[in-house]
Amino acid sequence: MAKTLANIFPNVIYQGWLGDGGWWTSIVQTLYMTFWSAIFGGILGLVFGLALVVTDADGILPSRHLFSVIDKIVSIFRAIPFIILLAFIAPVTQKIVGTQIGTTAALVPLSLGVFPFYARQVQVALKSVDHGTIEAAQSVGATNKDIIVDVYLREARSELIRVTTVTLISLIGLTAMAGAIGAGGLGNMAISYGYNRFANDITFVATLLVLILVLIVQILGDFLARILDHKNA
Amino acid sequence: MAETIIQLDNVSVTFQQKKASVQAVKDVTIHIQKGDIYGIVGYSGAGKSTLVRVINLLQQPTSGRIQVGDDVLFDNGQEVISTKTLRQKRRKIGMIFQHFNLLYEQTVIQNVGFALKHSNLDKKAMQAKALKLLDMVDLADKADAYPAQLSGGQQQRVAIARALANDPEILISDEATSALDPKNTNQILDLLQRLNTQLGLTVVLITHEMDAVKRIANRVAVMDDGVVIEEGSLLDIFTNSKEPLTKEFVGAEKGSKAIAALEDAHLAQLQPDEIALQLIYFGESVSEPLVVTLYKNFNVEANIIYSNIDVLGETVVGTNFVVLKGTDDNRQKAIDFLKKANVVVKQIKAGDVDHG
Repeated sequence: MAKTLANIFPNVIYQGWLGDGGWWTSIVQTLYMTFWSAIFGGILGLVFGLALVVTDADGILPSRHLFSVIDKIVSIFRAIPFIILLAFIAPVTQKIVGTQIGTTAALVPLSLGVFPFYARQVQVALKSVDHGTIEAAQSVGATNKDIIVDVYLREARSELIRVTTVTLISLIGLTAMAGAIGAGGLGNMAISYGYNRFANDITFVATLLVLILVLIVQILGDFLARILDHKNA
Repeated sequence: MAETIIQLDNVSVTFQQKKASVQAVKDVTIHIQKGDIYGIVGYSGAGKSTLVRVINLLQQPTSGRIQVGDDVLFDNGQEVISTKTLRQKRRKIGMIFQHFNLLYEQTVIQNVGFALKHSNLDKKAMQAKALKLLDMVDLADKADAYPAQLSGGQQQRVAIARALANDPEILISDEATSALDPKNTNQILDLLQRLNTQLGLTVVLITHEMDAVKRIANRVAVMDDGVVIEEGSLLDIFTNSKEPLTKEFVGAEKGSKAIAALEDAHLAQLQPDEIALQLIYFGESVSEPLVVTLYKNFNVEANIIYSNIDVLGETVVGTNFVVLKGTDDNRQKAIDFLKKANVVVKQIKAGDVDHG
């Protein structure tokens, strides 16, 4: 059995489990990058998304100027292709992390790359909360904090989980590109060790692992969104 | 003289759109007395919802003065109440909506609890009060259900419990029965009436269904194109409406159409000893056999050509169009008799139907 596997996937076996370029190392790198940039980019995206909805003309704190500033920041960041963003913000990364390369250094561009995407998705999700519900909350004397926490975030939680799932999946895609600045990960494995060295079996297995990861996120996201949704009895 | 609880003076609301500005409410003055069930009727787009939203400043007026209870909320084009006080004030003005607007990710009791968040009650007392409110709307057994599991009528009752959480003096009902079937509509209306009697709650009832107003309101304002075109007691509006739109709403149109159809046959061919009258009678006079009495006592024949009965709250109002036949003297006596019996008598001239 092991022998047959070794025959079909010689390079995969050669790559090993641990160490530089090892499979486990790559998996951990991908998970590490996805997790932390999801946290940082997620918080940033959530704040921006919320700010967009709250300051919008029909929001609870309408402000045309603030809205247009936030809207433009999100649009500009969203317009920069990720691979260029990687290079573009290298000096910022240097300031924050102390180095421009490596897995941790990749968190800066990953977070900045994913937050505008997430902000837009959050904006759409929160907009799905009916204006009447907010009006009803105001009519019982709810504070703005009540409305943000108990109405916007809670009423839209299933939608938020759905957009978070989509964002996480696209974030896993972005981590593949972070290989360009030596961040490692499964994407890098597929390109550097697989494609560039004509080791198709490595590309195949790396892709398969990414696919499994995406599938787990999708299933988990769908499940959570479903059990937290009480809008339809 | 009852105490005025809601006082809107010369209120206007203008929406600025990109190019045009739309005046949704135009210089409206309404005074609502404590304990009233005040109906505001009109077609959609008449500005009813916009008008009532200024009561708790969910909608800022462009100009005018708003006083609720002893507090002036808005005057001289600006809010004259702090955000914090306004929030406290809003808790004393309950509001229910056409689409219920509940929190769908929270259970029924949590929905009521949400309104009690700033009530200074501890958790246990809050829970108890929420349950008591649900009991009042007969939904205590659904406390842990989610709104989506309830029927429309039940959801509206949850909304009522939420609106009453902070013991308000006023309840604004914004088309609250418009999305419900007739049975649920009547249930909700009867509940509002019960709350009005039991708690002394002042109810502002916005609707386009005259039946709702007829069932529970004691005063009515009719709105059209941002203006209150007619205002008065329910009985007044029903028996003495002046504006065509009001007549349309109260259903007097039906009567006048019937008359118009009969005009050629009857009214246009009145004999010299005949007179066409509209009789409106209330309460007890309904049950008296007027037609028989007229014939027996005054030798006047009464020919009923149209008849209709409305129930306004507790009062029965009957409308008859009759042709009286008899000598001038006897007809006059008959009319005097009717007037004494508290029947409103209006003469109808052929071709000039005064429908009430």
